[in-house]
Amino acid sequence: MRTGVTRWLTGAAGLVLAGVGAYRLLGVDDLTGVLIWLGGAVVLHDVLIAPLVLLIGSVLVRGGVRGPVRGALLVGGALTAVALPVLLRPGKPANPSVLPLDYPRNWLVTLVAVAVVSALVPVVRRIGRSRRR
Amino acid sequence: MRSRLLPPEFSGRLHDARTATSIGRWLGLAFAVCFLTGLISHVLQHPPGWLDGDLPSRPTWGYRLTQGLHVASGIAAVPLLPAKLWTVYPRLFSWPAVRSVRHALERLSVAVLVAAAVLEVATGLMNTAQWYPWPFPFVPVHYALAWLVAGSVLLHIAVKAPEIRAHWSRRSPGTLALPEEDGPDRRSLLAAVTAAVGAVTVTTVGQSFTPLKGFTLLAPRHPDHGPNGLPVNRTAAAAGVGLIASDRYRLTVVGPRACALTLDELRGLPQYEAELPIACVEGWSKSAHWTGVRVVDLLDLAGAPRHARVRVVSLQTRGDYRISEMGHEYARDPLTLLALRLNGEELTPDHGYPVRLIAPNRPGVLQTKWVGRLEVLS
Ligand code: HEM
Repeated sequence: MRTGVTRWLTGAAGLVLAGVGAYRLLGVDDLTGVLIWLGGAVVLHDVLIAPLVLLIGSVLVRGGVRGPVRGALLVGGALTAVALPVLLRPGKPANPSVLPLDYPRNWLVTLVAVAVVSALVPVVRRIGRSRRR
Repeated sequence: MRSRLLPPEFSGRLHDARTATSIGRWLGLAFAVCFLTGLISHVLQHPPGWLDGDLPSRPTWGYRLTQGLHVASGIAAVPLLPAKLWTVYPRLFSWPAVRSVRHALERLSVAVLVAAAVLEVATGLMNTAQWYPWPFPFVPVHYALAWLVAGSVLLHIAVKAPEIRAHWSRRSPGTLALPEEDGPDRRSLLAAVTAAVGAVTVTTVGQSFTPLKGFTLLAPRHPDHGPNGLPVNRTAAAAGVGLIASDRYRLTVVGPRACALTLDELRGLPQYEAELPIACVEGWSKSAHWTGVRVVDLLDLAGAPRHARVRVVSLQTRGDYRISEMGHEYARDPLTLLALRLNGEELTPDHGYPVRLIAPNRPGVLQTKWVGRLEVLS
């Protein structure tokens, strides 16, 4: 019974917090803009990004090396997502200490590192297995 | 009504509750850290009346830690959020789309959660690169969405509690009911998600956790880039101050015994040293060595009462953060300085030449530069 109470309290607390958020949202400038961007975020994810990821997965992630391939795609994709703002931000940064690095180069470095490590994983595994034998 | 495409079939595996629980709890943890550290950042910048005088000026590294964690856990959410959504994506097409009022409300709450979470993480990340392509103001929307995300996560946990419990561990009944042959594949997926979190963390966290600065490849800031060896947000040019002539500079102290001090007079007062970080709201931070006059000494000079608040006014003509205020905890902290020197050199114009505020445990936007006036408030 106790867990039932906790569950209801959690749900109620969630409604209160979400209510605070919704109420605050009503007070911001350009609510329409926010709603469009909220809807846009869902559409972009559900209609474009997710199907694309599923498609790539169903084409490339197969067979005995599916683990390392999926790992490489996932880690590379995450690094790319995090790098998108620093790679794509238009305009000159506010001063030389903002976005000071060579991001296209660094991004490629991370992808090469991911490719190398992922290619080594099955090799190392195979060596480990044959040693144990 | 059922077309051939809808609902689609998902031949891939691991779109199951055990995978969702495993990834979801890490995402929940990241969001919880984001929410709590975000609230701390909000309170430090917009203290509610009842807290105002009592915000603590210690530990010196407090805000550096919380805001560094905020952006690090936010970046960790960049792989976790899509991974979580991937596991549950087939449910988007569950059929019939709505079974009952309860089911409709549940789906609505999930839609709110997904919309708010995706927008919050995406705009937060872009904000750290100072990229604002949206029409609305960032901070108030980020703040409102934070409550919306936190609330809908709690609601979601309450709704899914039985399923979460049934799949919490490898030995839980729900997990054991899933096809056993998926186990190794699931572990491999979770390992990949963990690796992704590790990779995005290692390549960005050095912007605040300086021991890892050598791996800082994708962060918008690097600890080694900036005048006096310290990054800058608003430059002297952007603030409309340029190079302030030292012989024309005066620090006005407004209080019971008002006074005006020249730069040489300030240099003649006892000088103190402090090792304090600049910790930006955008997540980057770096510790630096400051030398200058203690604010508490100036307050005593002006005959300020012990519990007085202090307003610090900049000479800058442009920008949002021209004025900052602090309660007595900050103003009387012996480490709170009007700094004249940084890392052994005179301040550069971009760091606030000739005089800037530096106080412990405080967001960078409140460390007012080009200070022209201290006002003792009652
Ligand atoms: C669910 C996830 C998140 C929650 C709940 C959250 C919550 C918050 C809150 C409550 C604040 C304080 C806002 C204020 O001062 O009024 C804040 C500020 C901030 N957040 Fe987040 N946040 C999240 C994700 C992110 C992410 C992913 C990033 C970036 C990677 C980020 C970057 C920032 C920045 C830069 C600020 C400072 C804004 C400013 O004061 O100028 N946040 N966040």
